[in-house]
Parts: sequence; structure tokens; C-alpha cells
Amino acid sequence: MTATTLSRVDSTRPRKGRSAARTSDLGWALLRWATVALALIVTIVPFFWLVTTSFKRQIDYLAYPPVVIPSAWTLEGYRVLFEQQDLGHYFANSVIVTLTSTALAVFIGALAAYSLARARFPFKLNGILAFWMLLTRMYPAIATAIPYFLIMRDLRLLDTLPALIVTYTAFNLPFVIWLLIGFYEELPIELERAAMIDGCSVWMRFRKIVLPLSAPALVATAILSAVLAWNEFLFAVMLTRVNAKTLPVVMSGFITDKGTQWDQMTALGVITVLPVLVFALAVQRYLVRGLTLGAVKE
Amino acid sequence: MGSVRFDHVTKRYGKVEAVSDLNLDIPDGQFMTLVGPSGCGKSTTLNMLAGLDDVTEGEIYIDDQEVSSLPPGERDIAMVFQSYALYPHMSVRDNLAFALMVRKESRAAIQEKVTNAARLLGIEELLDRKPRQLSGGQRQRVALGRALVREPRLFLLDEPLSNLDAKLRVQMRAELKLLFDRLATTVVYVTHDQAEAMTMSDRVAIFDKGVVQQVGTPLELYDRPANVFVAGFLGSPPMNFLEAEIADGQVRGSGFAFGLPAWAGGAGRGAPVVLGMRPEDISLRSASGPTQASISLVEPMGSSTILYTRIGENLVSIETGKDTNLGVGSTVSLDIEPNRLHLFDAATGQTLAPAQ
Repeated sequence: MTATTLSRVDSTRPRKGRSAARTSDLGWALLRWATVALALIVTIVPFFWLVTTSFKRQIDYLAYPPVVIPSAWTLEGYRVLFEQQDLGHYFANSVIVTLTSTALAVFIGALAAYSLARARFPFKLNGILAFWMLLTRMYPAIATAIPYFLIMRDLRLLDTLPALIVTYTAFNLPFVIWLLIGFYEELPIELERAAMIDGCSVWMRFRKIVLPLSAPALVATAILSAVLAWNEFLFAVMLTRVNAKTLPVVMSGFITDKGTQWDQMTALGVITVLPVLVFALAVQRYLVRGLTLGAVKE
Repeated sequence: MGSVRFDHVTKRYGKVEAVSDLNLDIPDGQFMTLVGPSGCGKSTTLNMLAGLDDVTEGEIYIDDQEVSSLPPGERDIAMVFQSYALYPHMSVRDNLAFALMVRKESRAAIQEKVTNAARLLGIEELLDRKPRQLSGGQRQRVALGRALVREPRLFLLDEPLSNLDAKLRVQMRAELKLLFDRLATTVVYVTHDQAEAMTMSDRVAIFDKGVVQQVGTPLELYDRPANVFVAGFLGSPPMNFLEAEIADGQVRGSGFAFGLPAWAGGAGRGAPVVLGMRPEDISLRSASGPTQASISLVEPMGSSTILYTRIGENLVSIETGKDTNLGVGSTVSLDIEPNRLHLFDAATGQTLAPAQ
């Protein structure tokens, strides 16, 4: 795609001789490959480091200059991790918080997006409300950390899963709403008018017609908000202490005053990344389709 | 049952008046067509009747029941949309059954009604397909079927044929007419196609700029148009209009003079009028007469031939037999039976013919 576009641009230029054109083609090709290589390095190297370190012995991960390929492979980090930590509990925490907050955010967000896309509120409230929701994502989250902590303390929700669920739902809502508004506005209004004539109430229209048709968009937004909730660290570390810790918080616990336990930390990192990776590969098709839905008319 | 009455109905969008003071009666069992150019208010009228658009002023009655405040689902109407609006995620069977399921009819009743409608429309073998697996004509039938299963007191059709290709459209036109004749249910049909209006309707209401121009049977409107708009809207090729004046028992203008119809004997002398002539009413004479025209284009249509001629500055189309041997450049003499002339007030566009 890029290649044809570039060469077409070249061919419209005044003729400079074939060799000049060929040199510039080569230049573009090099630049392109360099960009791709850079992008790959940025994404793959940390991942490679994470995985290999989890199998390294202490002598390798503390070595300087760093050892790229471990001299001996070991599962020691994983063994200690499973023996000393209640991993099942924290894993379950992460799963519960992620699934619940995602389900809530998508459900509430779909309702909000549908009404913003379809109803006409007075005083240009549609635009104002949509923008106001976006506004909650415009300041850094840490700006609200202390008040948030105090509120959760007063509500006696510290170190509970509901605290995280509420937080992540609220965080993901704007983003779910904005993705879905665009989708619902593209949905042919005549389908809903037909449903009205067929005798559907607003709620039935939404449930029987709009929801099934927006399934790909719902899946796409659900995936994105699930990944955000799964990876979230700041509020998780702030609002939890023992019971409600999620995997990212547990992971940070390996940074201690006696040094960093790289082997266990990276082992947990691998365990945390794996489900997301598998999940993302499985639903990749929906993700791309869902995000581009409505962009092109069928 | 299914009679409809619009009583002083007005619809405004902000300051724009889409429909102005509409009064219209549709008796039970009649096929009523609302026709007009785009933006004339015909679709808005239909949507108000369906309950999809609110009425700004006035009342709408179905069977003498005021329905303006009823939601669409409680008006006992069925509608066919221009885009068909089939539910893409449901099979044809579920599309047909949906409204009945919403109304919580029994499974057996739904099954029977769906089967009957499918048989009536010849779509039985399509019942398990999804809409995207259907051709345009098949989608059209499913959209019709979705309305038929309801057995409503009123069918509303919004340009149902406009997405079909020309040949299929003519075929479906006849099928629809047969179908609704058999059902004997009231139909309100919106179209911009004057041929559909002429061929299918019991009565036609012609809209322009949010106002009903004339209501009547197709031939009434065709033969006795109330104004220039109606006269020009119906008929293909359209009526010829010439600026003229009435003098000495004739209607004349630059390069033409025709005898006056009997009813126009007392029309004001020297008054400016618009003269209307249907292309098929104009006859050609070999002998030289007062009106000479030169042929600038010949369009053989197969069954007839259309001659485009010039009379002075005016372009006049004439429909003649297919065996004409006249060619471009030749001059002909035109005549028209005086009773076939249409005369309109030049200022208001209203007909000068007395009401019948």
C-alpha cells in the first residue's frame, strides 16, 4: 500500500533520470524498514527481557554487563512465587474486578451512548453531556488520588473489590460511551422506526434490535476496557492493602528495601500477561472489525 | 376498517413548515397515493400518520379515533419503508414473526400467519435466509410480508419500489395493485413517481411545498388539473406550457393560435394566460394552418414517437404514431381539439376551467 503510493508520487514528478528515481525509491524503502524495525524493537525487547529474566538465575539477572541469553535456565522464580504467594486469590481478584467492571461499563455505557445518540435533549445537552464525560479523562488520574482515597476510606471500601470495580467502571465509561455513540449514530434509524411500528417500547427496541446489531462494537469496547482494568496499577495500589490486591499490585511488592526480586517479579509478569495475550489473539478479528464498524458503508 | 382523516394538520421543524393545514379524507378500503417532488411534505404526512413524527397542530383520526398522541405500535398500522428496514440479524421468518411476537400472539397463530404471508408473496423457500442473502426484489417482498402478517387496518408504504430496477419496478407495481385489491385494506402510498400514482391509486393527493394541490382519481387529475403544478407533474412526457392571451375567440401567442374551448367563451379578453397542451392531444396536419412548428428532435419510443418541435421560442413536444416519416428540420402544422386545451391564470397558476 505505502509502496505503491510512494512510487506513484515519484512518477508524477518531473523526470530526473532513472537512477535518481531508483536511489530515492531505495531511500524510502530503507526508511520504511528502519521504522518497522524500531517499532518491533520497542515492543518486542521488553517482552523478551521479561520472559527470559523469569527463567534466569540470580547470577544472570544481576550480572553487569547484562546477560541476554541466560547461561542456565531455571524455574526457581516460578517455584518460589507459587510457594510463597497466595497467587490463586490475587488472580481471582484480578479476574473478578476486570470482568465485573467491564460488564458494568459496557452495559451502562451502551445505555448512555444509545440515549445520547438517539434522544434530542434540550439546550444542546447531548453535546455538553458527551463532552463532560470526556472531561473526566482529561486530567491525570493521580490528581484525584488523595480525595478518592479519603472518600473510599469514609465509605469503608478500602481494600475491597467493590472499590476497584466502581473505580474502573467509572474510568472506562467515557471511553465506552464515546466509542459506542459513533456506532449508534451510524445505525440506520429506519430499523428502529420499523420496530416502533411493530410495537416495540424503547427498551425492547434497544434489547431486540440495537443490542444484537451492536454486538461487534460491544465486544471491541469490552476488550479494550478489560485490558485497561486488568493492567491498572495506580488506584489498585492506593485502594488495596492485603485482601483485594490485584496482580499488578502483587508484582510491585517484589520491589523491596532489600532489592528487587527480579525472578519472581518477572515470573508473575509472564503469568499476568499470558491470559491477556491469549485473549487478544482469540478476539483480534472482532477487535479490528468492531473499531472500524460504521466507518465504511457496507 | 381503516378510514383516515387529517384535520387541519400542520407540521413545523423550527421555522420551516413541512406540511401546512392539511385536510384529507381517506375512506376505508381506498388506495390513496400521496405524490409530489422531494421535500413536498408527503413523507412527513405519512410519518405523522404512522406516529413516527409528532403533529405540530391539528388532529389525525383513524376510524374516528384521534391518534395524535398514540405511539406507533398502538395505531394498528403496518409500514413498508423505502430501505425495507429488514432486521439484518434475523432470518426472514423471524422478520415476519417479530411484530406478532412483540404482540405476544400464540406460537401456532404466528406460524400460520407467517406461512400464509410467505405463500401469498412466493417467498416460502426464503424463510430461513438472512436479509443480506436476498436480492433487492426478494427483500422488497419480505418487507411487504412483514406488513401483511400484521393484518392491520391501515397499510403505509413509503416509496417501496424506488430501490428496484426499472423493469422489476413495473412488475411489482402491478403485483402490489393486485395484492391490495384482493386485501381490500386501506393503503396510504407515498411516491415521487407519477406513473406509480397514476397506475395504482384509487385516489391521488398531489403535494407541493407542504400543501395539497389537488385530490382526485388519477384520471380526474390528469384530465382536469387544478393548476399548473398538477398539470405539469402528471404525464410523461409532461404537458407543454405556452404563454398566451385570449383574443377574438382564440388563444394565441407568438407563432400560434388555437380555437377556444366552449367553456372559455366568456373568458376575459386580452388577459394573459398559460396555455397547456398534452403531447398526445396535439395533432399534425399536412395542410398549412395558423400554427407552424419545426421539428428539432425525433424520439422513437417504439409504441409511439415523440417529436420535439419549436414554435417561435417555445419548445413543444408532440406524441405521434410510431410510423411517422417526419425528420428533423421539417415543418409541420399543429392543431388541437379546443376542448383538449388547458388554460391557467398566468398570475396564480390556477385553472380557468369551471369546476365540475
